[in-house]
Amino acid sequence: MVATGGQAQDQSQNQEPDVLNPTSAVTGLPQKRYYRQRAHSNPIADHSFDYPARPEDVDWRSMYPSIQQGQQVSFADVGCGYGGFLVTLGEMFPEKLSIGMEIRVKVSDYVVDRIAALRRRSADTGAYQNIACLRTNAMKYLPNYFSKGQLEKMFFLYPDPHFKRAKHKWRIINQALLSEYAYVLRKGGLVYTMTDVEDLHKWIVTHMEEHPLYERLTEEEANADPITPKLYQSSEEGAKVVRNKGDHFLAIFRRL
Amino acid sequence: MQHFGPNGAAAGLGPTTADIKIECADCLKPCIQSQNRVSSASTATSAASTVARATAANTSVQNVAYSPDGQLLAVTTSGAQKALLLYRSRPENARLLSTRPLSRASSAVRFCSDSSSVLVTDKTGDCYQYDCVEVEAPPRLLLGHLSVVYDILWSEDQQHIITCDRDDKIRVTNYPATFDIHSYCLGHREFVSGLALLTEQHIASASGDKTLRVWNYIQGKELLQHELPAPAVRLLVRQLEPEKVFQAAVLFYEHVDALGLYRLERSSDDTWSVTATQLVCAEAGSWSISNFTLTSDRIYITGAENERLSLRVYDIATGQPASSGVPEGWLKMVLDGLGANEEGAPPFIPEDLSVWFKKRFDNVSDYLERKKRRIEEQQQQKCG
Repeated sequence: MVATGGQAQDQSQNQEPDVLNPTSAVTGLPQKRYYRQRAHSNPIADHSFDYPARPEDVDWRSMYPSIQQGQQVSFADVGCGYGGFLVTLGEMFPEKLSIGMEIRVKVSDYVVDRIAALRRRSADTGAYQNIACLRTNAMKYLPNYFSKGQLEKMFFLYPDPHFKRAKHKWRIINQALLSEYAYVLRKGGLVYTMTDVEDLHKWIVTHMEEHPLYERLTEEEANADPITPKLYQSSEEGAKVVRNKGDHFLAIFRRL
Repeated sequence: MQHFGPNGAAAGLGPTTADIKIECADCLKPCIQSQNRVSSASTATSAASTVARATAANTSVQNVAYSPDGQLLAVTTSGAQKALLLYRSRPENARLLSTRPLSRASSAVRFCSDSSSVLVTDKTGDCYQYDCVEVEAPPRLLLGHLSVVYDILWSEDQQHIITCDRDDKIRVTNYPATFDIHSYCLGHREFVSGLALLTEQHIASASGDKTLRVWNYIQGKELLQHELPAPAVRLLVRQLEPEKVFQAAVLFYEHVDALGLYRLERSSDDTWSVTATQLVCAEAGSWSISNFTLTSDRIYITGAENERLSLRVYDIATGQPASSGVPEGWLKMVLDGLGANEEGAPPFIPEDLSVWFKKRFDNVSDYLERKKRRIEEQQQQKCG
């Protein structure tokens, strides 16, 4: 089994799918309190990931049951957390397939259950068929899932800052990884980064600008992007920062 | 073209290698505790004797590579003093040109085809380029993997650097624009331990997943997959007919036969097949084999016997200990040169390769089990 989507399949086979989710009686959505997990994860260590050897081995249909022949994932939310922004992406871009990638077991499971619940709730409209969540280590396995130049947009929203210098190599933005992201991104594709940690923002901007395959969008370009306002609202982390009246640091880069 | 060993080990193979004389400042006790990943028996021995004199007691030789022009010898050390030592190996007396510190122990070393620089990868997956003209120049970070890089190739035209890692990947990076990844050759299901250039577009790879594969690395396309009897930990390729016929030699991980020899033949542009197979026992099991190299008629194998470095020579046709062609006393001379038989010499213990295999620990089943129980309890409460 390649994708966490298999769990969704098990659920649909169950006669009472709702029972499998500790769902809220009011919203029908899974409740986050059952899926809490600490924010940090070691991305270098071995984990028990089932990952495909090659992109052509991925069973996308298990994640997107109504995927069309030849249709590919275009957007990737790396470290999607509880999937708030992923859901927004699905609503904003009904024609595009978006994937959320999350390394934490419980958190990715929450997103899988959340998407399953959203799909059930809107079975009549067929909404949310275009989003899915994958438990994987994006730092290691992006090329296992995506072919060269496949992605149009990548999102790195409120990534783990890994404050300690010794853990900077664990940061999701670093010199070596930027080349991997450039590989899976198409030319002209965009990388969205958002953080509430100013030091991390500076780190991201420095590394992206040093890399010959990226250029930063001007402020006008960034503001003109319809996704920009959503970045401040959609993710749970973002909402928390908004509530606390904290600063956000947005930077968008174009793959050259 | 150097098709002999990953690092041009063909240069100076045979008894003459022991004649390289090295003059170094520190004549310390030889120490060859873990000459892991040395590219061949003979380079290993000559270089180890080099470094044996050059390094401190708890420093050991990690990797050795000859430059394709046979003029330079690169040696990396690990332990207390991690460094890249660059020697001029010809004409008569080898001379230490420079010693540059390494931040981490190396995992592979390879010269480019014109011998002007050498690549060193380390255990964190970083790959550095060291200039061999400006021999004191600081290194340049070229690329990074997220796990150990076990082997590295530089295409003949120096347009591509090819690296393989513990995460099953073979990566093809453009050079000199190393920020730009050209392709991946994906399909292996375990660590990729060895790479070898076949033609301008083809490489061979060996892996812990018990396969030997041939790729068009420009396209990232797999052309041949051949099952091996055991996981592969080293790969050497020798050219028999240019562009067409090659001999691939694979060292196995813990197997009754130490080596497998495979004849790789190209029948058309992108069609490859294995046309002959020969397994070589090399007394596997009776000693702890660490590395090997081969010539047209002999296989040189290093390993440990009672924690002592041992070098043995086998006849390639029969797989039996070589009875002719090895001058009497040569093996002893090489081993003596390394101080392998000296009283009080440190034990020789080959690297434990079991750590190359990924440890799978399951952090999912337990969570799913608890989730299922919780949901069942909730269901019972509802019903009750």
